[in-house]
Amino acid sequence: MDLKAAVTRARRGLREERGLYLVAVSSLAVAFLCLAGVLLATQNLSTMAARWGQSGRVSVYLAGDASPDDVTKLEGLLRGLPDVARVEHVTSAQARADFLEHADVGAALGQLPPEAFPASLEVTLAPSATAQRVDAIAGRVKSFAAVTDVETYRGWFDQLDTLVSAGRVAAIVLAALVALCVLAVIGNTIRLAVARRRQEIEVMKLCGATDGFVRGPLVLEGTFQGFVAAVIAILVLMVGFLALKDPINATVAALIGVRVAFLSSWMVVAVIVGGAVIGAAGSALSVRRYLDV
Amino acid sequence: MSREDFGEEGARPFAFFRAGARAEPGVANKPILVLEDVYKYFRVDQPTLRGVNLTVERGEFVFVTGPSGAGKSTLLQLIYRKHTVDDGRILFSGRDIARLTERSIPYLRRNLGIVFQDFKIIGHWTVFENVAIALEILSMPRRLVRARVAEALERVGLSGRGDALTDTLSGGEQQRVAVARAIVTEPALILADEPTGNLDPHLAIDVLTLFEEINATGTTVLFATHDHSLIAKRDHRLVSIDEGRVVESRRGLTTWAGGLHSVGG
Ligand SMILES: Nc1ncnc2c1ncn2[C@@H]1O[C@H](COP(=O)(O)OP(=O)(O)OP(=O)(O)O)[C@@H](O)[C@H]1O
Ligand SMILES: [Mg+2]
Repeated sequence: MDLKAAVTRARRGLREERGLYLVAVSSLAVAFLCLAGVLLATQNLSTMAARWGQSGRVSVYLAGDASPDDVTKLEGLLRGLPDVARVEHVTSAQARADFLEHADVGAALGQLPPEAFPASLEVTLAPSATAQRVDAIAGRVKSFAAVTDVETYRGWFDQLDTLVSAGRVAAIVLAALVALCVLAVIGNTIRLAVARRRQEIEVMKLCGATDGFVRGPLVLEGTFQGFVAAVIAILVLMVGFLALKDPINATVAALIGVRVAFLSSWMVVAVIVGGAVIGAAGSALSVRRYLDV
Repeated sequence: MSREDFGEEGARPFAFFRAGARAEPGVANKPILVLEDVYKYFRVDQPTLRGVNLTVERGEFVFVTGPSGAGKSTLLQLIYRKHTVDDGRILFSGRDIARLTERSIPYLRRNLGIVFQDFKIIGHWTVFENVAIALEILSMPRRLVRARVAEALERVGLSGRGDALTDTLSGGEQQRVAVARAIVTEPALILADEPTGNLDPHLAIDVLTLFEEINATGTTVLFATHDHSLIAKRDHRLVSIDEGRVVESRRGLTTWAGGLHSVGG
């Protein structure tokens, strides 16, 4: 198959079917934009999850009747663990004062007895601590008599993890939907293009053109549409991202302590290459279907 | 017969068929086209062609005539494999084209020049593009394409009109573009299916003369027409299709250098 001739013919086809291809590329770009948007959200969520998971905290609640000796021993043991960055002893009174100071609570809560605020050891973990490691520390600490409860805040991480997984699933489902959409749009476009070029195709076949000669340009045109649509989607997403980046960083991101980032460059490449590949596949399939001359 | 006989992509199939190309011994004196007992059914009860026998020698000019619906177009379509025979054989330079695989059909067609009543040229293409397509299919280099198209346009009397959009040409000129496209690859055999059907009598003679000029350079021409005024003006060999069979009406000897050969019937 003469690639150069096919490219020349494809360029001509794109020029002649401008209107048709403009519509197709716009719909494809919307589809790719949805996909890229979900990818962007998922990527930022997972960065957030990773960051949160790393800055791990463990609260070790102490029994009211725990002896100061036991507490000091436990504190020392915790400090000796490799993943522990800091250990702070918060007494019941401090906890109560903290709570009343930070929380905007009514008088009713102010009447709570000191027992409602157990003393605790607030453990800050090193960034290298994994979730399993946190669980292991919690398990070990729980067996001490002086300890009533251990809060690892894992529930929060788990929820975030669930969100990230949901995002990934959504991205996969959306990718499949986008693939179907692309196949449908490209298929329809090729069908129209074949119908419009019926006479040209007939002439070429009568002059001894192989199927490859006829199909090549159409497949190239489909590839190009997928590619352009993906590039447009990425560009639109980037414009949107740049516009919203600062407000998001100023509010949400400031609270969470994570700055939002655009799709990684390999993800950008993957979306664009994916667009071209699915465009090629879609047009190859429909050319086979609609081109029995 | 294997597919290789008709050449793979890129190779020049049937190169020895080209006018001016040196013929292989043995091939040169074979008839270019032989139809042996050809049957074609479009309806089970009524065959369009029923036992057609026809031999066409290299370099002949043959009128194919017969009433409307007789099967003239069908006969030509069997030769360029738009349809396949239901029985019998069609030998193109000794090869049975009925047994060609789907994939080999393009290589058969590259050895044929086909001209139609409705021209089948692309109106929004230029004259040059309409002719060049036949060579682009052969992956011919651009420079060669330009030279060959210019030459073909000159032969059909359209020199210098390459840049014109074919839509803007007159009917006669459009048919000349179609003829240029058919001859630009220098095929061994030209199949013309009522090429003058859409032209007024004066232009019809012009186009007929054009085919005769092409024939004079050694190309075999099969010219289907039901225009008896046209046939009457020339003494070319004339075959009529009647009741699904070929009837030899007249044997033109002026352009038939092959001597007396046994022909159909
Ligand atoms: N593709 C087809 N399907 C069904 N019937 C066909 C087909 N092609 C031709 N026929 C039939 O075969 C017969 C011969 O048709 P053909 O077109 O070969 O005639 P023709 O001699 O070329 O006529 P005309 O002078 O009108 O062009 C007709 O009865 C036609 O209806
Ligand atoms: Mg006909």
